[in-house]
Amino acid sequence: MELYIYGIIDSSGRMVESIRGLEGADVYNIPYCDIGVVVSKFTKSPTQNTTKDCVLAHEEVIERLMEYFTVLPVRFHTVFDGRDGVVSLMQSYYKDFRDNLDRLRNKVEFGIKVIWPSDKIKEHIINTYKKSDKKVSVLSDSSNQRFIRDKFEKFKLDEEFQKKAYKFIKVMDIFFSKFAAEKKLKKLKTESLLLDAVYLVEKDKQDDFKEAFEHIKSPHASFKFLFSGPWPPYNFVILPKKSDLLKDPEQEDLFDKVIQHRDLIGANKI
Amino acid sequence: MTINGVVETDFPEDFIEEIEKSSDVLPKKIDANPKNVEKGLAKLVLTLIELIRKLLEKQAMRRVEAGSLSDEQIENMGETLMKLENKMEELQQIFGLKDEELNLNLGPLGDLM
Repeated sequence: MELYIYGIIDSSGRMVESIRGLEGADVYNIPYCDIGVVVSKFTKSPTQNTTKDCVLAHEEVIERLMEYFTVLPVRFHTVFDGRDGVVSLMQSYYKDFRDNLDRLRNKVEFGIKVIWPSDKIKEHIINTYKKSDKKVSVLSDSSNQRFIRDKFEKFKLDEEFQKKAYKFIKVMDIFFSKFAAEKKLKKLKTESLLLDAVYLVEKDKQDDFKEAFEHIKSPHASFKFLFSGPWPPYNFVILPKKSDLLKDPEQEDLFDKVIQHRDLIGANKI
Repeated sequence: MTINGVVETDFPEDFIEEIEKSSDVLPKKIDANPKNVEKGLAKLVLTLIELIRKLLEKQAMRRVEAGSLSDEQIENMGETLMKLENKMEELQQIFGLKDEELNLNLGPLGDLM
């Protein structure tokens, strides 16, 4: 019998209340020492298409668990072949799970994405460059020298673009970091997606963090912001070694994130 | 439903577009099979050549910026870099590879270029 895993919790006791998971199955805890793996019985193939309902059902179980426990949220669609597989996982990773549970206690994750007006920024950089004295001077007008001149211009524009991006990111990050315990930033994933960040925030600092976001948002009218959370700390579970217990090579990272799916679904709902 | 997390934005379509753009560029794994093994290898080799070409180009631009090159050296460098770029375009066309395909996903380290 296959077991669908939702997360690992800091309790080896029974569920406080009845929770229904994927396929409407009962969610229960498999204890190991002082922690536990929260699972439900599962019949479908783990490789089937991700659907909005499945993602939300997975997320709902984890957030219900978060009301009572510290949770290490497991990657969406992680399925194990029976109780023995789950127990083996716990035997191998107990200490890592325990450390993560201690580190993430009373903390939640927030996501922040920022789109900046990259075309306007580029236009401004080009105009400034044209007026500057930093242009490369070539003596002859041969195709080879023109090639270098064009390359140099592009090089300078790219450099300036990146400098501006990092400057904006730094200003925003200083603000958010005041209220965050940990963070992960991805800069310029595309030319327009200036920042794709996740912050780990203590539960009692959630309001301060949200307020910091509003402060950053208001003076940047030409920027577009996406704020999401509070979420389970998907991006902050650190597992030093990879599990060789996972039978499906697609599931090589047990604590991969469900964030992208969730943000897309969430954004669609607005 | 007890989902507490919220997604707040006034521009959902823009974010969907950017998220899809950033995740679609590179596959997580190299898709190699007997039918496309030649293209797969070419992609890998050309990616490494492209990395070296870009590094060379960057180094050259640093020297131009420093003003340490004579007119003749700029001329020679221009010819070399232009030929390299043309050759790369030619090879990309032969193997049907687009610019954005010449990259490697290094997992947690991000993309190579």
